[in-house]
Amino acid sequence: MKIGMLTWEYPPRIVGGIASHCLGLARALADLRHEVHIFTLDFPGTPAYEETEEGVKIYRVASELGHPNFLTWVLLFNHFIEKRIADVSQNVKFAVLHVHDWLTAPSGIAFKRSIGKPMVLTMHSTEHGRSGVHNPDSSTIDGLEWWAAYEASKVITTSDSMKSEVCGHFRLPWEKVEIIPNAVDSDKYHGSVDRGAVRARYGVQPHEKLVLSVGRLVPQKGIEYLIQAVPNVAWRFPEAKFVIVGEGWYRDHLQYLAGTTGQSWRINFTGFIPDHELIALTMSADVLAISSIYEPFGIVALEGMAAGVPVVASQVGGLAEIIEHDKTGVLVYSRNPDSLAWGIKHVLSNPDHARWLVQNARETVQKAYSWKAIAKRTVNLYREVAR
Amino acid sequence: MLHNIGATKMEKSMSIEEVVQWTEVDIETLRNLLQKLRELGYVEFVEIAGTEKYYVTPVGITKVMTLYS
Repeated sequence: MKIGMLTWEYPPRIVGGIASHCLGLARALADLRHEVHIFTLDFPGTPAYEETEEGVKIYRVASELGHPNFLTWVLLFNHFIEKRIADVSQNVKFAVLHVHDWLTAPSGIAFKRSIGKPMVLTMHSTEHGRSGVHNPDSSTIDGLEWWAAYEASKVITTSDSMKSEVCGHFRLPWEKVEIIPNAVDSDKYHGSVDRGAVRARYGVQPHEKLVLSVGRLVPQKGIEYLIQAVPNVAWRFPEAKFVIVGEGWYRDHLQYLAGTTGQSWRINFTGFIPDHELIALTMSADVLAISSIYEPFGIVALEGMAAGVPVVASQVGGLAEIIEHDKTGVLVYSRNPDSLAWGIKHVLSNPDHARWLVQNARETVQKAYSWKAIAKRTVNLYREVAR
Repeated sequence: MLHNIGATKMEKSMSIEEVVQWTEVDIETLRNLLQKLRELGYVEFVEIAGTEKYYVTPVGITKVMTLYS
């Protein structure tokens, strides 16, 4: 099957979970002998076209016109993506187009019309959920999301909670939306790492406890609640250090907030770090804390589970579906620093129990969240819409 | 802004006068903003024929993307 996949982020242009998702799915589809063509935006140092070892073909499109308004710029780059797909489709007869989120929806919709083939849309999140529909640009994004969901033959969400949100907000028929969860490449976490050396790079000594947070520094990730939990955790574990990985527009505020705790010396904001370093750091942590207040899926939880680190996460969205409380991780109340602190201390206080959680979590990841299984389910959906 | 108007690599860098045209921000304010962004690693500049030209770095692109992803 020839699949055209549209996404505005694809490694190394990576910020959130969409790039990792598209990479994992594309590789797994290629392993199943499908022909995958990725249409995405250019990134410094990457070629305009490349074919990976797995056979995934990647077209990186430069937006030849700029505009200071973000929405106008999005519509412009969609035009250039559309042109690239049109060129490629002269030689490739696509069976299905798969669009990820609203950012590439306009080109997907246009091209679906011109080639008369079905479009599948994965809604990784919604504007309504991310930040509320709060200004004219936000309303337009919300409208684009509705339009893409309307035009799609099928909509994929990665969790049950996200399906409810999408069906409720956009008034979609329940049967139009399919839940296909995210997955993780467990093999990435099978190597050995020098924990001492990795921790030392982040200022964490062997006898100290490393509490890790990974995610974009935006309000929906609830990092402020983790920062507010620091004094509580430190009171019980004076040797605790907090490493916050990620980048985002909210960083300045979070760093200011860290300063107000009087504990900023034990909180390290690393910014964005390369994937291989993140894997090593995750495998070297004592606990992974996920303090999100909105999380359609929460792939970082799966990554922590695969890496063998106990996960403490807010009981929201997909996190509440991935993690079975006190069996494969620990769920805590969202927007609640005391609850989060309790979860972290619960794990750090009980090493044997933490090891049991990790073992259960690894089994769950291998059984239910492999890319191969997720790719097969996605292909079934492609076949259903292509009939 | 540098991201959206295409100054995403050295070859596409823009002079401060060009950025002023896009942003309509006065040149001194813009110079200070660009200097701050440069210190944070989000913007870099290159000197071409005696003119300073600015572009957004890969880290800066990632920062922009966090707004909308």
